[in-house]
Amino acid sequence: MNANHPVVARFRERFAADVLSVEEFRGQTVISVKAPRAVEMLKSLRDDAECPFDMLTDLTAADYLRLDAPERFAVVYQLLSMLRNERLRVKAYVSEARPEIGSVSSLWGNANWLEREVWDLYGIRFLGHPDPRRILMPDDYEGHPLRKDYPLKGRGERSHFPKYTAEEAP
Amino acid sequence: MGLEKLLGDGILATRVSALVNWARQNALWPMPFGTACCAIEMMATLSSRFDLSRFGAEVIRFSPRQADLMIVSGRISIKMMPVLLKIWEQMPEPKWCISMGACASSGGVFDTYTLIQGVDQFIPVDVYIPGCPPRPENLIDGIRKIQEIVSKERLWDAKHGN
Ligand code: SF4
Repeated sequence: MNANHPVVARFRERFAADVLSVEEFRGQTVISVKAPRAVEMLKSLRDDAECPFDMLTDLTAADYLRLDAPERFAVVYQLLSMLRNERLRVKAYVSEARPEIGSVSSLWGNANWLEREVWDLYGIRFLGHPDPRRILMPDDYEGHPLRKDYPLKGRGERSHFPKYTAEEAP
Repeated sequence: MGLEKLLGDGILATRVSALVNWARQNALWPMPFGTACCAIEMMATLSSRFDLSRFGAEVIRFSPRQADLMIVSGRISIKMMPVLLKIWEQMPEPKWCISMGACASSGGVFDTYTLIQGVDQFIPVDVYIPGCPPRPENLIDGIRKIQEIVSKERLWDAKHGN
């Protein structure tokens, strides 16, 4: 979808104060927004009269540690309009100090697990999420390992297990 | 078992050991702990083309209480390690362990926060099989090595609860 599509124009008009930028790259449009009204914005895209983005194909996040970006984290929504066969990417920037954003699991059911994954690996809280538990890492794990400042080899979690030897068998 | 008190370390006990070991080494019951790509090679080893039953180890037991040989084939993550330990605890003595493939033996190429860098840090491994993945012949060779180890067991060793 290109950036001068009417649905983008409508969106910019309605949320002018919160839209940071609209970029087009190789026919793909990215709308960058501020986080606080993200749920409302995504609802307006989902319920758009002409081009409803009724499918959330993916929800993920990016860590812009030490990169040139409005905030440290971005929650990325990949949307698809099955009616018009159009795709749109929305990036909502959240700060390092308050890594939280509204949950869209009431808009698209599949966001439930995807938001749990983002919480688990990036530590971004989804306010209003019905089941905000970890999904991949063990329940008692501490930290969010996909953050760029998390040590690749961990903090010793891979060596904290009881040790059995052949002599003192359990 | 108290056998050594009854028989002493004499010729009879040695003969009984040899008989028990002969039975054990030709009827290994593996517990397959297949968590990744190596498990595919393990399955190939068990099925008709490579046919592990020629060596008496085809009775795969998915219940650890019925198994005496654990084959760790694949990556073990920090979330899987408690499961591995629990299964190891549940296996009755005597028991042996094969660490199959680079990942189980050393973490392989995955030197990251989530991967155990070798299961031998936590459970006693008897035979390591190199490879990524090892071919079925390598696994058969590993099981033959286990059979050699079994043949040298003595009934009054610690491994048998004495
Ligand atoms: S050693 Fe190679 S084949 Fe085996 S589990 Fe690791 S990556 Fe897969």
